[in-house]
Amino acid sequence: MDALIQLSDVTKRYDAGGHPAVDRVSLTVAPGEAVAVMGPSGSGKSTLLNLIAGLDRPTSGTVTVAGQRIDTLSETGVARFRRQRIGMIFQFFNLLDDLTVADNVLLPAQLSGLRAAQARARTAELLAALRIDRHADAFPARLSGGERQRVAIARALVNRPVLLLADEPTGALDTATGEEIGELLRDLNSSGQTMVLVTHNPDLAARYARRTVHIVDGQVRSDVVIGSSTDLAGQVLP
Amino acid sequence: MIRGPVSRAVRGGLTRRRVQTIVIGLVLLISTGASVLALAIVVDSNAPFDHAFAAQHGADEVASIDSAKATAAQLAATSKLPVVTAASGPFAEVTVAADISATPGCTPGPGNPCLIGGSLPPMTLVGRATLGGQVDDLTLQSGHWATKPGQVVLDGSGSGPEVGLPLGARLVITSAPGKPTLTVVGIASSITGSAAGWVAPSEIFGLSPRGAPASAQMLYRFKAAGSSAELTADMAAVARALPVGAVSGSQSYLAAKAQESGNIAPFVPFLFAFGVIGMVMSVLIVANVVSSAVVAGYRRIGILKSIGFTPGQVLAAYTGQAAIPAVVGCLGGVLAGNLVAAPVLAQTASAYGVGALAVPVWVDVTVPGVMLCLVGAAAVLPALRAGRLSAVQAIATGRAPRTGRGHIAHRLLGRLALPRPVTIGLAAPFARPARTAVTLVAVLLGAATVTLAVGLSTSLNMVVTALSHAKAQPVQVFDPAGSGAGGGLVHIKGPGGPQPPAISPAAAQRAIEAALRAQPGTLHYVAEADQQVSVAGLSQQVPVTAFRGDASWTGYDMVTGHWYTGPGQVDVSAGFLTLTGDSVGGTITILSGSRQVTARIVGEVFQGGPQLITDWQTLAAVQPGLAANKFDLGLRPGTSEAAYIQGLQSRLGQQYPVVSNQRNSTVVDLMIGLIGTLTLLLTIVAGLGVLNTVVLHTRERVHDLGVFKAVGMTPRQTIAMVVCWVAGIGLIAGLIAVPAGIFLHGVVLPAMANAADVGLPSNLLNVYHPVEIAVLALAGLAIAVAGSLLPASWAAATRTASVLHAE
Repeated sequence: MDALIQLSDVTKRYDAGGHPAVDRVSLTVAPGEAVAVMGPSGSGKSTLLNLIAGLDRPTSGTVTVAGQRIDTLSETGVARFRRQRIGMIFQFFNLLDDLTVADNVLLPAQLSGLRAAQARARTAELLAALRIDRHADAFPARLSGGERQRVAIARALVNRPVLLLADEPTGALDTATGEEIGELLRDLNSSGQTMVLVTHNPDLAARYARRTVHIVDGQVRSDVVIGSSTDLAGQVLP
Repeated sequence: MIRGPVSRAVRGGLTRRRVQTIVIGLVLLISTGASVLALAIVVDSNAPFDHAFAAQHGADEVASIDSAKATAAQLAATSKLPVVTAASGPFAEVTVAADISATPGCTPGPGNPCLIGGSLPPMTLVGRATLGGQVDDLTLQSGHWATKPGQVVLDGSGSGPEVGLPLGARLVITSAPGKPTLTVVGIASSITGSAAGWVAPSEIFGLSPRGAPASAQMLYRFKAAGSSAELTADMAAVARALPVGAVSGSQSYLAAKAQESGNIAPFVPFLFAFGVIGMVMSVLIVANVVSSAVVAGYRRIGILKSIGFTPGQVLAAYTGQAAIPAVVGCLGGVLAGNLVAAPVLAQTASAYGVGALAVPVWVDVTVPGVMLCLVGAAAVLPALRAGRLSAVQAIATGRAPRTGRGHIAHRLLGRLALPRPVTIGLAAPFARPARTAVTLVAVLLGAATVTLAVGLSTSLNMVVTALSHAKAQPVQVFDPAGSGAGGGLVHIKGPGGPQPPAISPAAAQRAIEAALRAQPGTLHYVAEADQQVSVAGLSQQVPVTAFRGDASWTGYDMVTGHWYTGPGQVDVSAGFLTLTGDSVGGTITILSGSRQVTARIVGEVFQGGPQLITDWQTLAAVQPGLAANKFDLGLRPGTSEAAYIQGLQSRLGQQYPVVSNQRNSTVVDLMIGLIGTLTLLLTIVAGLGVLNTVVLHTRERVHDLGVFKAVGMTPRQTIAMVVCWVAGIGLIAGLIAVPAGIFLHGVVLPAMANAADVGLPSNLLNVYHPVEIAVLALAGLAIAVAGSLLPASWAAATRTASVLHAE
């Protein structure tokens, strides 16, 4: 099995000589996996996600996603890689207030130069699938939290990324809406979408991911696969 | 609790907003510097004349009266006219021709110049008993007043060739019966140049040429004398009070002032325009910076108030953030303005002969004072608004999502077939209409300045070419034996002077003309004589140029009327019209010695100073021995100027210099250099305004930038988007700026011409070509792009992770 994500001995320091946010982490994620990264606040889980997304660069070590070393790419290269291969969703949605729902979803496709008709068709398809097509011309400020997160998911998926990264996707939602979004993510994974999910909610991790990586002080303390189909089943790292 | 927290808040604001701090400082530095320079020149170009005019009770009008037509009583009665506040005269006046007596027994040598004789052009002498008076209170510079027969006091402030004659020099009045001799006993100055010299009243009648009409001089000061129109009306009132034709001419102080102002006056209009533009831009940019800082800092203001800041302290904190860099910028601007003004004022001082001129202290105090008041007003209003907000309201306002402004623009522009970063960028200004408007005006002013500067530079270069006539007559041949300006005056001569040619003037001119005809490449030539003549009603001599043959090709631009077509016609400059109050269609009387000729003004030519241009026959009527001192040559197309000069020089020999008609003008070069410098500075100010806007926008949209990058926007796309935030503004500003700049050019250039006392041919105003206009229309875009590139690259380099994490 070829790994979709391969982190090798990755360290990230924000201050030279300071405590590393991520400390010598090695991690492999296979295609189709749904991995929950858990840990307390300040443990380094968001930094790890940013390193995988190419939003940040490691101080040492290598980050390979979909066969591409992204830690050595230029800013332009990593931007192009990200928009083609990675979709991201955030706790606070990070939608652009000035753009309509449809325009928010269209944006990554437009940035990557997809033909307008194709991009619009894909957007319409996603909005319908996520049941927010009636809000296509609305601005994000008028939507509920759940609806906004659906828009963010649609935007993340518009370029058919091989990897979906989610940073506390239900953190800003009420319980019912959070479960709804969790179901949506599980459905996506069921259809083969590889996902890395950062959360400090154990229930979310347990219900919607088959593998959980615990990070404390920047180091992987445990990597647990629930089920029996993988080599790491039941393995607890020190 | 009062000073400490406020100063810390100010310091914090200055540190956090370094770019805006620098922008305020630079903008104020440039604007203050430009304003100090402009105001200093405006003040210094007028002050010396005005002071001297007031001190000497200068005459608003110097009138020549035909003594045969008006009695002394009638003239005295004019001093009681309602428009007249003071009058002096009548003083008998006479125009004479004079020769200088050689210094007997003097041998010229180094340090020992001698008067070797020579002729003076016709000069006006006035009989006055004293140098004082209610009007035209003369200042004695050296020697004493003429109290006895045979004495003359010369005007030392004029520009005639008599200036520089030493005390004791003797003049033989060749035009008077018996050729009496006058000894120079004093040098005096009249602020309006009312005469070339003064003699005792009893002397004047013995100096009149036989048969010359008696003439008297009246000096008037009027209630309203601020403009040419007012002075014309005043003189009309005087003329109405006298018998018809009694006033044979008059000369206003405005002409003298224009002459005194010399080269410096034309600087004033464009410096004034640039100064005002700079000031307006400064105010707009500072207001933009401060109000944006307040708007962006609502949350911080809320926090400050929640920890105990009073509204006054908030006001002080935010005005302080603008005031500190503004004060530093203003002080730097005063220093820079003084440094740049120094060489220009030195030229003014030289023009007035008033020693050294410096930027007046009140200018150094007033300009930064006004600038700081404007900046203060721009800063106080938004800071007051911030101070009045409650803490909760401020924090809530700071956290509130942006309003829906600009959504329609986003939607519409999103439909364009342009890259998405471009359309997002173009739509951004609609979210901040006030800031957009301010930025648009700043760029518009900058781009309009560029259009104005290009037009002015083109026009000024054309002025140099037009005044030298170098285009039409690129080559000139000088005949040293001909009648030079001032009647061939070389009245003070040291050893080693020019040697006159060995042949007669007529033979020399025949030889030159034969050489010109024989020289390949000669298209046409015309003989030119430059002389000084008197004109009835004027105390001073006027340069006259006469051409022998067709000279319509010589390149004199016509302002109005037409080129003379025959004897009895004359073209004149605007300076002459100002001096005399005449207009095209009028008639003048040209005097030389006891001869006179009447000529009709048929056109106004573009020429500096007072100038007459006429045909040979007209001038020869008053100067029968007229000889050409110069030949103007036009070349056949394709003829090499240098080769032609070399060939003709070989043919003529070294005694007849063949020269290239020079097109240089130090004053115009200085003007163009100053215009270029000021334009660059104002363009930088406009660019700083753009930079400031983009920085503010980047700060506000830093989160959005992070999102854009998170979804795959490349650095190049980010730069394109940020540049497009202001590119649309720049393009629109540029499109508006072109007509605005052309309009300004149409206002400033005539004002400069008016200050220089020259008429303006229409071709000097119509200098913008379609291609040039198209390029100038992009000036706003260029300013916008240049101003936004730096913050755009900062935006492209923003770390996405930290921005999004800050959420």
